[in-house]
Amino acid sequence: MMKWLKELCALHGASGNEHPVKAFIRSKLADRSDAVYEDGIGNLVLLRKGAGKSAKRLMLLAHMDEVGLMVTNIEEDGRLAVMPVGGVDPRVLLGKPVVIGEGEIPGFIGYQAIHLQKNTLTVPPEWKDIRVEAGFTKKEQAAEKIPIGTYIHFHTEYEEFENRIVAKALDDRGGCSILMDLFEDLPAVDYDIYFGFVVQEEVGLRGSGAAAKLVCPDVALVFETTTAGDNPELSPARWSTHLDQGVALSYLQGGYALDSRIFELLVDTASRNRIPYQCKGRTVGGTDATRLAKTMYGIPSGGLNIPGRYIHAPVSMISKSDYQSAVDLARRVIAEGKIVQIMEGSL
Amino acid sequence: MKEIIQKLTEISAPSGRERVVHNAILEELDGYIDGFRFDPVGNLIVWKNGSATDRKKILLDAHADEIGLVITRIDDKGFLRVDPVGGLDPVRLLGARVCWGNRIGIIDVEQETIADYRKNIKELNYDLIYADIGCNSREEALQHVHVGQFGTYCAPFVDLGERMVAKSMDDRIGCAIIVQVFKEIGESVNDLYGVFAVQEEVGLVGSQVAGFDIHPDIAIALDVTGCSDTPKGFKRMDLALGKGPAIKVKDRASISDEKVVDLLVQTADDHHIPYQMEVLIFGGTDAYGYQITGSGIKAGTLSIVTRYVHSPNEMVDYSDVLHAVQLLKCACNKNL
Repeated sequence: MMKWLKELCALHGASGNEHPVKAFIRSKLADRSDAVYEDGIGNLVLLRKGAGKSAKRLMLLAHMDEVGLMVTNIEEDGRLAVMPVGGVDPRVLLGKPVVIGEGEIPGFIGYQAIHLQKNTLTVPPEWKDIRVEAGFTKKEQAAEKIPIGTYIHFHTEYEEFENRIVAKALDDRGGCSILMDLFEDLPAVDYDIYFGFVVQEEVGLRGSGAAAKLVCPDVALVFETTTAGDNPELSPARWSTHLDQGVALSYLQGGYALDSRIFELLVDTASRNRIPYQCKGRTVGGTDATRLAKTMYGIPSGGLNIPGRYIHAPVSMISKSDYQSAVDLARRVIAEGKIVQIMEGSL
Repeated sequence: MKEIIQKLTEISAPSGRERVVHNAILEELDGYIDGFRFDPVGNLIVWKNGSATDRKKILLDAHADEIGLVITRIDDKGFLRVDPVGGLDPVRLLGARVCWGNRIGIIDVEQETIADYRKNIKELNYDLIYADIGCNSREEALQHVHVGQFGTYCAPFVDLGERMVAKSMDDRIGCAIIVQVFKEIGESVNDLYGVFAVQEEVGLVGSQVAGFDIHPDIAIALDVTGCSDTPKGFKRMDLALGKGPAIKVKDRASISDEKVVDLLVQTADDHHIPYQMEVLIFGGTDAYGYQITGSGIKAGTLSIVTRYVHSPNEMVDYSDVLHAVQLLKCACNKNL
């Protein structure tokens, strides 16, 4: 379990820049795949053929991209102006180290020292105030190494302690890692399983539709790292999920009520097999499941989530046991095989 | 036709939980269709084969779902926290009755002081409201409801003569109109498809996929629209109850295909059926879903002007409904 998570999180792959993640996954799993596909937008799809005659197709899906920054301008003094790639709260950036471009030039995001602030301490910064420093002192000097459009990624060491993992990009390398773990130890089934590692989720669910058109699955399961929100400063009634309470199952999200048959199957399978699970307490935010349901003939989709604190920030935190319960539930669902019969009379 | 309107509007079926409405529709259509199927996301698709050799495919769509409330949390004292399913302004919920299955609940707002109450009412949001289903503990509540359960308003159909009121005219009135068209059309010139689409209220889900392998020549969505004929009603629109079905030109989600608009206008003129032209300054319908399906389907919307949309008391005019049925019957039997 979690064989590749540490390495996955260390890779830099903001939306549109997923190739390091894709190359890594491909290098580990391609030779054991029955087919390997890459499509125009950049998705990676691996096929594991079923043992029997079933022509059914289950698609497992996780997105390879993470949120990050992009260089939009270089100041006369060599500092970099940036815009977010995906949803980033500028408040989480202050005082953080980053790496710039493929050469991974070290940089950091500064802000006015506390000594110089008067009444601005509690005022959140705006994007126009955010600058990335990389040691340059002149525009020309920076421009030589860092063209406009260069990606900037968070730079955070992966750490494990107690039941916790802290890293950048757990959304959604956590999902990618689950798919890789499932691939490693896949139950023998008689239907085909497609592992979809998709691009550009964070900027608007852009990759998953293309991957689905390539595969034409009967049904799909989307693996995400989702908001926990069980921060002490929030009232428990506003928490979305709780760390350590198991895999989080979704029933409603932005733009889609997840397929009720799949939701009920997941709840039932978790209950029967005594796998810890929780139902998400908030319905905001979308995942690739929304895109899949609206693609071609409509792909019924379900969602399994690892609760994550502080996602879309340089540090995010998950629970190892939640991760384990997501893997356990997915493996049971795959092994039992009812998931691909969802379309036949179980309505 | 009021019986079927009452039957369909009194069913509780929010987005993603439409099967009970679909079953009622199939019961009504027994003997009037040549076939039906459910597609992968749960849309009910019915059809009637056309008789003309140069026949076209016409698709009529109404969404089967209604707005609702989903239970997100049950506290130790048995109170529920909820989130909206679709666009449900929490203002509409204060004092309303809602139901999850057979269990009825009441919605109210947190209020530790009178000042709190006034503030919370002004800034009402889903973090400030709760549902009370009459239970004393979490355990007791769990015997009746569960987290992830979808519910709706609980409000009966009311017949006011020319006007009718129900919790889910949006869009059971569209469903009822399509059912009536299939019942009354007799022999059909064109191939006629009826789609009772899922999940319109959460994101036009069903309509984006229902037409994918039907490839209809045109699709017409039947849905409710706003009105401007109430005290200080919308002054930038001209839509009134009783002036006939509304032929939509544009809303926030779609611009109706010219040919569909022309077909409806021409048919109404030819048969002296009253109608009004509609430009809705907000909202959208399933027509958008058809327009973006595959390589694109010509689509438009025929609307029923409705007061108090997304409240427990959506009001329509009966003559508008009957005229919509008549207009669609005539339009569907034209040689396109």
